[in-house]
Amino acid sequence: MSITNLLNNWSFYRQKRPYQGQYDLNRQYSEYKWAMALDLDICTGCNACTTACYAENNLPVVGKKRFNQGHVMHWIRIERYWDENMGEFPEQGASFLPMMCQQCEEAPCETVCPVGATSHTNDGLNSQNYHRCVGSRYCSVNCPYKVRYFNFWNYPSTAWPAPLPDQLNPDVTVRTKGIMEKCTFCVQRLNEAKSRARTEYRLVRDGEVVPACVQACPTSAITFGNIVDPKSKVAMMWKNQQVDLYKDMQEKDNSVRGYRILEDLRPFPSVMYLERVRDMEA
Amino acid sequence: MIHRLLATLCFAFLFGTAAGAEPFVQGGPIGSQTPDGYNALGPVVKQPIEFPHYRHARDMGINCMYCHTGARRGYVSVIPRIDKCIGCHQNIESVRNKPRIKKLFEYWDKKQPIPWKKVNDLPDYVRFNHERHIQRFYFRQNRPVREVCGYCHGDVANMTVDRRVKALSMGWCISCHQKDHKESDTNMKTSHGPGECWQCHK
Repeated sequence: MSITNLLNNWSFYRQKRPYQGQYDLNRQYSEYKWAMALDLDICTGCNACTTACYAENNLPVVGKKRFNQGHVMHWIRIERYWDENMGEFPEQGASFLPMMCQQCEEAPCETVCPVGATSHTNDGLNSQNYHRCVGSRYCSVNCPYKVRYFNFWNYPSTAWPAPLPDQLNPDVTVRTKGIMEKCTFCVQRLNEAKSRARTEYRLVRDGEVVPACVQACPTSAITFGNIVDPKSKVAMMWKNQQVDLYKDMQEKDNSVRGYRILEDLRPFPSVMYLERVRDMEA
Repeated sequence: MIHRLLATLCFAFLFGTAAGAEPFVQGGPIGSQTPDGYNALGPVVKQPIEFPHYRHARDMGINCMYCHTGARRGYVSVIPRIDKCIGCHQNIESVRNKPRIKKLFEYWDKKQPIPWKKVNDLPDYVRFNHERHIQRFYFRQNRPVREVCGYCHGDVANMTVDRRVKALSMGWCISCHQKDHKESDTNMKTSHGPGECWQCHK
């Protein structure tokens, strides 16, 4: 790419995603593109998704001291936002926002990994390979959502005393010290469903496989599915909310609630949130 | 056939084993070559019963998946339970007094499982799906079962106790995944195996 070429085609390269050629903007996922829709109006902030994630993905409980040091390892966390201008309706309380890896299409973390431990899969997931990771933590710095978690300690030696290792999920590696980790959309479930579907000469059906957080959600606030399939629930929600995966600025009317977090940074996240509806006149 | 016979006789002469000896000699340390030409890449595994794979798979022509039933259904190929062995062997009177079969029935009478040891062992952070490989190459393309299993397990049908003869390393897996495999015998379209980290790494 020469300078003149760059200047002549400035708008093209300005719009270009880092993996052009391999993953271009007009790329069509042929089989799967996993995506999520999360309705904040239904979410009650009960933390069931977090608990389910701890159980499914062998996450260590780090304790109060390390939590305060910021060493906590929750792949999905419930963020609380307090309304400063409570005004005359103080009972409105906090807004909850479950935050997990957004599996960005143009993930900032992928471009900065010095060893290529994090990369994009053909299903549109942002993969993290624990065995290649050297723990530079560059990806965590570059992640706008701060959803990458670093093992500062050798948690397996302390987090699960004697009988507890028996409850670990054998499909997920127990991470050791010096490894970066993050939400995987429960890739072990996705892989199993995919191979089962391939054996039966079909694609994974909508609702056939869900991550642990979706499974545990008591109010069904999270919808998960394959956005390539236009009839899947999640694809219809994205369409109804007029959110397009490959647009950084959505052109939509004000009647819809769908939005993606930090969209203007152009990471093209795969998780759509639906704004909470508040009755301001009650 | 003549070759095979000659080879067997040669081995018998060279290594002092009895004539008609078992076709696979487990061989020496890791990395050495077994007398019948395999690279002994895995350690010698001492099994509780020296299970003669060659007798079942080669001489009797039993499909590998008659005993390893999980291979076509899931991630692990499954080592059969003892009732699988007994199910046949209680009806085969001719070999009942052979030492290995006696040992088998000892376990059966004691109601104990046979403590088989793992031969082709992958690291814990790798998931290998038997189902996809068997479905693709055996059921879809109708390749012979000994060939399909042999891609990763070598010529087990000529072994007594199984020994790991393939590398089973990541580069070795990838070398096959990058090849263009025909989708079926009638279809010239090719495809290769998945190449993403998360397909195999947990």
